[in-house]
Amino acid sequence: MKARRKEELMGYLFLVPYLLLFILFVIIPVLVSAWLSVVQLDLTNASKSAFIGAQNFTDALKDDFFWQATGATGRFALLMVPSVLVLGTAMALGMNRMSQGRDMVRALVYMPSMLNVAATGILWQWFFNNEFGLFNYTIRKAGGTPIPWLTDANMAMPSVVLMSLWWTVGGTSVVVLTALQQIPKMYFEAASLDGANGRHIFFRIMIPLLKPVLLFVFVTTTIASFQMFGQAAILTGGGPTFATRGVVQYMFETAFNGYRFGYGAAISWLLFAAILVFSTIQARVLKSQVEG
Amino acid sequence: MKRNPLPSMLMMLIGGVFILPFIFMIVASFKREAEVLQPDQILPKTWDLANYEAVSRNSVEAPVGLWFVNSVFVSSATTLLVICLSSLVAFAITRIKVRGAKFLLNMIVGTMMIPAQLFLIPLYVILSRMGLLDTPYALILPAAASGYGVFMLSQFMRNLPVAIEEAAMIDGCTLPEVFWKITLPLCGPSIATLAVFTFIGSWNDYITPLVFMESVTNYTLPVGIALFQSSYSTQYGLTIATSLLSTLPLLIMFLVFQKQIIESMTSSGLKD
Repeated sequence: MKARRKEELMGYLFLVPYLLLFILFVIIPVLVSAWLSVVQLDLTNASKSAFIGAQNFTDALKDDFFWQATGATGRFALLMVPSVLVLGTAMALGMNRMSQGRDMVRALVYMPSMLNVAATGILWQWFFNNEFGLFNYTIRKAGGTPIPWLTDANMAMPSVVLMSLWWTVGGTSVVVLTALQQIPKMYFEAASLDGANGRHIFFRIMIPLLKPVLLFVFVTTTIASFQMFGQAAILTGGGPTFATRGVVQYMFETAFNGYRFGYGAAISWLLFAAILVFSTIQARVLKSQVEG
Repeated sequence: MKRNPLPSMLMMLIGGVFILPFIFMIVASFKREAEVLQPDQILPKTWDLANYEAVSRNSVEAPVGLWFVNSVFVSSATTLLVICLSSLVAFAITRIKVRGAKFLLNMIVGTMMIPAQLFLIPLYVILSRMGLLDTPYALILPAAASGYGVFMLSQFMRNLPVAIEEAAMIDGCTLPEVFWKITLPLCGPSIATLAVFTFIGSWNDYITPLVFMESVTNYTLPVGIALFQSSYSTQYGLTIATSLLSTLPLLIMFLVFQKQIIESMTSSGLKD
C-alpha cells in the first residue's frame, strides 16, 4: 500500500511539467478568451474594461463584414469539401488498381502537403499571374481567352480552392487508399462469383465499406476549410474586394490590426461553435479509439 | 490474371501533374528574372545562381539565413519538448494510472477540439504579460502544451504488455528507471512518428509566428518569406528561390523517410 502511494506521488511528479504548460497555455487562454468576448476591453487600463454581456456577439451578427467573411469561408468549404472527397477517392481507387509504381505515385501526390502555405502561395501566385503566369500563357497559346484568376471577385475563390486542392488532396487520397487496401479481397471475389458487375461492387460493397474513412475525411476537411486563412492571405490578401477574406482572416484583422480583442474573441467563439458540430462527430471516432 | 496497365499509366500521369509545380519551382529559381516571366522558356539558357546569391546575402530587410536558424531552433525545441512532456504524461496516465488519470486524459483530448485560432488572442495577451512576445518561446511553449502527443502516446502505451515492466519492478527497478530503460524504448516507433509530425507542424506553422513575432529578425521561414514576397512581389525568381529554401529540409526528410511518413500519417489518422 505504501509502495502504491509512492508510485502515485511519482506519477504526479511526471505530470507536473506538462500540466503547468497545459494550465498556462490551454486552460487559462480559454478562460481569458471567454472573458474577453463579454467585455469592452480597454487596452490602456484593463481595470476599466466594462462587462457588456453578449454585445460583442450580437454586434457580430449585425456586422456586414462578418457575414461577408462567413460567406467567403462557406463558399470555400462548399467548393473544397466535395472536391476533396470526389478527387481524393478517385485518386485512391486509381492507385488501388495500379499494377506497378503505386508507392512512387503515392509519394508524388503526397509531396505538396510538405510545403508551407507561404511557399505554396508564392508559387501559385506566379502560376496565376494574368500576364506571364503559366496558366494564362497556356490558354493564350491554345487560342482561348485568359482568365483573371486572382483579380476577378468571382474567380478568386475557385483559384484559392484549386491551389488548396493541389496542396492537400494527395493526403486525402493516401488515407482513402489505406482504407481500400484493408478491405479483404474475398468480398470482391465473392461478389463477382455471385454475378455482381463493376458498378454493383463499387456502390454496394466498396462505398459502404469506405463509409468510416469517407466520414473521417468529410469531417476533417470541413473543419480545416472553416479555418482557411493562409491560402487566401498569401494568394490574394483576402481580395479582390474581400471576396476571399474568410472568418479567420477577419478575426485576425479585427484583433491584431484593429486592436478590438473582445470582438475578435467573440468571432473566434462563433467559429468554434460552427466547428463544434463537426468535431463532435470526430470526437466520437476519437473516443472509440481511446477506449478501444 | 493479366492486369490492365491503363490505371498504372493514368495514375503515373496524375503523379506527374502533382510533381510538375515542384519542377517549375526548381527550374525558375535558377532563371534570370526575364526568363521567369517567359513560360515558353522551359529551361534557363544559363543556370544562374544570382537568386541564391541574393538570398545568401542575408540582407537587413530579408535575413533568410537568420529565419532558417530561427525555424530550426523553434521546430527542434518544440519537438524535443513535446516528446519529453507527453511521454511522461502518457506514462503517468496509462502505466502508473494515477488517480484522476481518466479525467485528465479526457480533458486533454477534449481541448483538442478547440480550434487553434481561438487561442491566438488570449495567448497574445498572456504572452505579452509574461514578456515572451517576439521571442522563440512564444512559439515553443504553447505548442508544447498541445494534447496531440499525450493522446497519441497514451494510445500506444496502453497497448504495450505490462509484463516486462512488472518484471523490471520486481528486479528492483525504480519507476523512472522503468520509464527510461523499458517503456520509452518500446515506444520508439510512435515517438518517431510524433517527432516527425510535430517538427513538420512547427516548421510549417504560419499564423502563430505571424501574430506573436514582431521583429523581422525573429521571424520563422513561412512568415519571413511571406513578408519577403510582399516587398519583392515583382521578383518571382527571387521569391521562388526563397520559398524553395524554406521547404528544402522537409522535402529532403520526406524523400528519405517517405514510406514511414505516409504510413504513420495514415495509421495515426485512422484506426477503427
